[in-house]
Amino acid sequence: MRDTLYTDVLLGESYREIRHPSGLTIRVLHKDGYKSSFALFATKYGSIDTRIEQPDGSFRAIPEGTAHFLEHKLFESEDLDAFARFAKTGANANAFTSFDMTAYLFSGAACFSENLEILLDFVQSPYFTEQTVRKEQGIIGQEIRMYRDSADWEVEFNLLRALYHHHPVRIDIAGTEQTIAEISADLLYDCYRNFYNLHNMVLAVAGNATVEEVLAVADKVLKPAVGKSAVREFVPEPKAPAQSYIEERMPVNVPSFALGYKEAISAPERTGKEVLCTEVLLDAVAGRSSALYERLLREGLINTGFGAQYFYGFGYANCEFSGESADPKRAAAEIRKAVAAARQTGIDRESFERARRKLYGRIVMGFNDVQSVAVDMVESYFAGDDLFERARVCRDMTLEDVNARLKEILDDETAALSVVLPADGKEA
Amino acid sequence: MSEPLLMTIADGVELCAVQTDMFKTCKINIMMALPLAGDIAAKAALPYLLRRSCRAYPSVTSLNGRLDTLYGAVLGASVMKKGEAQILNLSLSAIDDRFALDGESVSGEAVRLLLDMLFEPKLEDGTFPQDDIDAEKRLLLERMRAEDDDKRTYARRRCEEVMCADEAYSRNRYGTAQEIESLTGARVYAAWREALETAVIRIVTVSSGTPDAVRGQLSARFGTLERRVAAIETQFIPDAAGEKYERETQPLMQGTLVMGFRCGMHASEDMDPAMTVAADIFGGGTYSKLFTIVREQMSLCYFCAARLNRDKGILLVSSGIETENESKTREAILEQLRAVQNGEFDAEMLETSLRSLRDSVRSYTDSPDVLCAWYANQIFRGTAKTPQQRIAEYDAVTLEQVQAAAQKITPDTVFMLAGTGEEHHA
Repeated sequence: MRDTLYTDVLLGESYREIRHPSGLTIRVLHKDGYKSSFALFATKYGSIDTRIEQPDGSFRAIPEGTAHFLEHKLFESEDLDAFARFAKTGANANAFTSFDMTAYLFSGAACFSENLEILLDFVQSPYFTEQTVRKEQGIIGQEIRMYRDSADWEVEFNLLRALYHHHPVRIDIAGTEQTIAEISADLLYDCYRNFYNLHNMVLAVAGNATVEEVLAVADKVLKPAVGKSAVREFVPEPKAPAQSYIEERMPVNVPSFALGYKEAISAPERTGKEVLCTEVLLDAVAGRSSALYERLLREGLINTGFGAQYFYGFGYANCEFSGESADPKRAAAEIRKAVAAARQTGIDRESFERARRKLYGRIVMGFNDVQSVAVDMVESYFAGDDLFERARVCRDMTLEDVNARLKEILDDETAALSVVLPADGKEA
Repeated sequence: MSEPLLMTIADGVELCAVQTDMFKTCKINIMMALPLAGDIAAKAALPYLLRRSCRAYPSVTSLNGRLDTLYGAVLGASVMKKGEAQILNLSLSAIDDRFALDGESVSGEAVRLLLDMLFEPKLEDGTFPQDDIDAEKRLLLERMRAEDDDKRTYARRRCEEVMCADEAYSRNRYGTAQEIESLTGARVYAAWREALETAVIRIVTVSSGTPDAVRGQLSARFGTLERRVAAIETQFIPDAAGEKYERETQPLMQGTLVMGFRCGMHASEDMDPAMTVAADIFGGGTYSKLFTIVREQMSLCYFCAARLNRDKGILLVSSGIETENESKTREAILEQLRAVQNGEFDAEMLETSLRSLRDSVRSYTDSPDVLCAWYANQIFRGTAKTPQQRIAEYDAVTLEQVQAAAQKITPDTVFMLAGTGEEHHA
């Protein structure tokens, strides 16, 4: 068992990373004075994993939405389901599926060891039958419909469909009512065996709990993993978007837009430095203290919900500018002009320093929240980093780093615009 | 973490200070309560206008640039409804000085900035500049209209409007579109003076510093005002007078059903916490009747939850369903309410609910935002009850109290936002 202590003196935080004999990596950040603990047990299996590796090394397709469906079903067991077990401790339990992971979690201020035991146990105990699978299709069908009526969701997924030709980031996380109808209990077992291997997973705990408490439960409950990590395919994408414009009509009052710049990537994952430099430059170009933000606001083209974000995962990366606008096309045109100008001149030192300090402050603030710490421990682990990488890179970053990064991304030829317009409105 | 210190700064102005070095931040929240009446639109515009700029930082860019330099201090402005009070909020979180990279003072600067924004706004010829007003008018209108684009929020709001049509509570917290469109600098200036001079104000701080410094700053500012505190009252209607129904159809994939109930309450502290527990067993956590029966057993929906609004004595149940399942879902929800009223829950179920409620209250001290909200929400009570004291109240709740509270719940209004079930047009 390897046990490593990581400390960041300037942040005033430490955590331990343990390679457990079962094959699972465990990260624990203890916080003095906190009453609650937040635990996240996650597997590197998300909606983008639409193909699974066969014994002969080839890949076969599985229905869209399977990872999310499996997440719902894992809460059930032959006798007491996981929610009923957590009801006996008072913890708040939940789970989520994203593009590249599925995570099961609880937060609680009492009975930590019992809670952790339930979490590790139910995730390791799949129980699927044709009957329970059919029952879930009704519930998830309503979840899918709920998201389809959300303009924020639609504008985002339409953008991904416009940007990507093949990459499965372009499909809905929960799949569609048609694809989930193809899911069977046998298929869920296949996916479970492939992706829910402790080598493919991580446990992160932040808050009141100690390493000793976590290990006592882990030693008792974790079953040694056989097999290896699941393998992901890197699907190369053309540089240009699949389509440069996509529009949907919905019953909304305020139109919304998402302008995305697809990044040309030759390796599937981004380094911490690439991510942080991108975040700083997006804030310098379009953040609340930028000239662009002030101008768009003054001209009535955005409101205070406007923002830019770097969106990335295995095999995909793009910069997005999104918000609500009475005139989405004009807003997007103005942003494109400002981005092109910034690429010509580079970011100035003052804007860089403002954006860097802001980002550093936000990283510091994130350590208040045990949920955010646990999520960051999982994400950084899957990215191959330690938890303090972001803070460190942010402290060491230079203007030259950011301007070099700017030359690599935000090429106007890679942009696509997604808009949602009112169903009864005029042409935008 | 220290016990909260509750101090009177001026007539109707309280400071509630929690001192702790558990967190990376210092946080200050200013809550100003006014009656949900009069020039609602002007009062609603005020926090956003104050958030926009101030005398020292007179533009969006300069103020936001200042916040960035203070390590991304987070400045929040919002308007809420609490019973029939309109609540204007300004808040600021900044990193604690211990974490600044160049040893500068961040938190003291941040508090001063927030108070500057409240007391020294950008004025021209003694009033708010018209171009700032025009910009905020547009933003307020978009904010109001965009909220309706979230169908769940919209359906809940519509249910409350129909249910409380004859009460002040039905007023939108932003006012009407017409009231917003006609806003002037003079009206918002009057709202600013009204807030400073008459609002019931509670300031909550969670920081590592001693309360003395912020207390001194607050006393200096509020001490110059002539205060006459507004009377704020909420009308409680204990029983439903009959059942109202309203239906609207939109081209949506999913329907949203919202059922509004009256809770037999005459004041926000009535049947506390028994009513909270009754609502939780009915439709709170994953162990509740609505989750286990209506979602899990009947597969009717992805969400079906009950939320008690203590400040108004009403309870709303909302659920996203197939439009054709409306009557089936309504009946199922009422059946589960009857089950709670008939005492069809045992001591173990009560304990399950209490465990969950206590557990979440126990966690309040782990978040400066949640802790601030907890103390700010006691604004009308003049108390600073700690989470620990709240847990003791839960400990004393009995099965009989919960059943008796549930029996006071009467169905008042159903609002159905029906969907056509068709795909949107790409």
